[in-house]
Amino acid sequence: MTSDADLDESLRLIRDSARGIATPGDTRRIRALRFSTTGFDRDTWCQICAMGWPGLRVPEAAGGSELSMRAYVALAEVLGEGLVAEPLIPAAIAAHVLRGPGLASLLGGETIVIPAWQESANTLGVGLATSVGTRANGQKCFVPLAAGGDMFLVAGQGGLALVAADAPGVRIERQPTQDGGHFGTVTFSDAPAEPVAGALEPALEEATLATAAMLLGVMERAFTLTLDYLRTREQFGRKIGSFQALQHRAADLSMQIALTRASVEAAAASIDAGSPQSRAAVSRAKARASQAAMMVTREAIQLHGGIGYTDEYDIGLYLRRAMVLANSFGGAATHRARFAMLAVEEDA
Amino acid sequence: MSTEPDLDALEAMDDETFRLTVRQWIEANYPPELRNPPKRLHWRENRVWYMRLAARGWLAPGWPREHGGMGLAAARQLIMLEEQERHGCARTNDHGIILVGPLLIRYGTPEQKAFFLPRILSGEHVWCQGYSEPNAGSDLASLRTSAVADGPDWVVNGQKIWTTLANDANWIFLLVRTDKTAKKQEGISFLLVPMDSPGITVRPIVNLDLHDEFCEVFFDNVRVPRTYTVGEINRGWSMAKALLGFERIFLGSPKQSAYALGRLRLLAERMGVWDEPLFRDRYTALRLDLEDLKCLHARFVEIVRRGDTLGPDVSMLKVIQTELFQKITDAMLDIAGEHAGLLEPMEGNRELAPGALFIQARPSTIYGGSNEIQRNIIAKAVLDLP
Repeated sequence: MTSDADLDESLRLIRDSARGIATPGDTRRIRALRFSTTGFDRDTWCQICAMGWPGLRVPEAAGGSELSMRAYVALAEVLGEGLVAEPLIPAAIAAHVLRGPGLASLLGGETIVIPAWQESANTLGVGLATSVGTRANGQKCFVPLAAGGDMFLVAGQGGLALVAADAPGVRIERQPTQDGGHFGTVTFSDAPAEPVAGALEPALEEATLATAAMLLGVMERAFTLTLDYLRTREQFGRKIGSFQALQHRAADLSMQIALTRASVEAAAASIDAGSPQSRAAVSRAKARASQAAMMVTREAIQLHGGIGYTDEYDIGLYLRRAMVLANSFGGAATHRARFAMLAVEEDA
Repeated sequence: MSTEPDLDALEAMDDETFRLTVRQWIEANYPPELRNPPKRLHWRENRVWYMRLAARGWLAPGWPREHGGMGLAAARQLIMLEEQERHGCARTNDHGIILVGPLLIRYGTPEQKAFFLPRILSGEHVWCQGYSEPNAGSDLASLRTSAVADGPDWVVNGQKIWTTLANDANWIFLLVRTDKTAKKQEGISFLLVPMDSPGITVRPIVNLDLHDEFCEVFFDNVRVPRTYTVGEINRGWSMAKALLGFERIFLGSPKQSAYALGRLRLLAERMGVWDEPLFRDRYTALRLDLEDLKCLHARFVEIVRRGDTLGPDVSMLKVIQTELFQKITDAMLDIAGEHAGLLEPMEGNRELAPGALFIQARPSTIYGGSNEIQRNIIAKAVLDLP
């Protein structure tokens, strides 16, 4: 068991190193990547691999760094603050499953592996209309940053298999997303595949919670920018942050952020403790984070007034990222429904 | 009953054993006729439960053992609260336990501790809190009830209001103005006053729940020995603020919303809407609000357990809890149909009283610092807005 002090220290270290890549407030890099073909930057991806982040949750014996879920959540939060575009969460799903040379080349940054598991919107489970084995056949959608991947980890009927992005029978159709990235609709027509043992589900749970943490970072940063604006913008001869109507709205947003942090960090602790209730806790946290991030980023635009509706001003970047992440790995309504199914009523 | 475990044995238990031990004792000792009372009980009604807790030594879970408390860690205190909640135990006249005791333990003289603490634990002294005044509600620091030194005594004049269960109490703790020339927060002192002092008049106020839970208390040349001052003269405001932090954790405890959510479920089953998807979505959203509140509450309880000082962000907890409580009772009225307008519980079942619970949820966003004041505190002291 790690003591509280050791845990706090390791979380502080990981936050500090994450800020090296995700410099809060510096959006020039992020803006340059918007709507580009891959949507992210390969050099930055190599830096991320050098930090060992894709293998954060992989056992040390397999070449990972075997850190806690709390550490993963702390990292994802900082990457959310910095609007980092690189596909850490998808790659971490693949790293959770892969072993041997495939894993080594993913962790080393040579091969970017993107999981492809969904077949329709608003689903939490692996789509089974696709067949995988030594050949892959079918169509996957909402594959994050698909045009930047070297390999797909395809989940479907028959389990899991790796398919090279440039293999014959693989067609990728890009659909740009609001945040400047894209989803791919990937069609496999008798594409050569290499079967992989294991299941995606535990990794999807962790990815869901990491996405909630990323949303926490997005809303925190959007809120900080909004508070700065309220403290400096003047109208009617006063700072607008001195108006009680706006102060109370800011207080309401701060409460949603506090609830999200409490919910996300408690869910991470529940995974670390191996609790049987951890899936319900993940749904609880994702429902809160999705709902709160949309509320905070939406209100952030309103509190900025006209300048908030310009593309030049940064606040809109946070709303657009929230619009994508809020519905990745299940939106608020989907997770409320899953929570209702999973949660054991104590006095039922 | 010599077989019951003492404090050391309780402390050595794991959480689950501790919880079951508390549960069994409550089930064996709580007066059955007082379960799930429809209104806040008076001392004449809840005294029997107070005295049973006192006899068992469980009246003051948070006080240090040397002063007759249980000295429990925060998580264990919460378990005791949850078990009382689960069984439908009434709240007692607990101002002495949750406010006066901690105040005296921190700021009282040795003589004050030796005199007052045992009398709280024996039930001899029943306390009420004299803070609000007719013109000092949200703006509490502008209070005007005055205390003027005269020989060995203070002479107190003025009026307090919203004094919970003053009609039960034989002692009151008062914020009074002792320096009219200083800045408003700097001329306030903290006094302990016997309610049978000549010149005190108590007038109950009937509230929306048709209950005389609150009172007005009038002071007309009331003489109070100066030895009943707590802490330094003119430094009462900082002590009062420290108590408000504890009060906000208490008012932000998820137990009130947890109780209401349980009643909402029973009502939904009785009204036949429990299996309707529209209702179930709404219920699940409320349940998630409650679960997230528990996560946030635990963080503040942990701060207290570590002995650290609560920050102004504890105001969030009070706002979130009380507004959730009201949202739950809103849902009750929406599904209750004509039962919503009934004065008495449905079918004589105290657990099915949607109208009464809705009414009882009204003051929660007003008392203990209105939620508007709490939002002001968050905006200024937490978010640093101008």
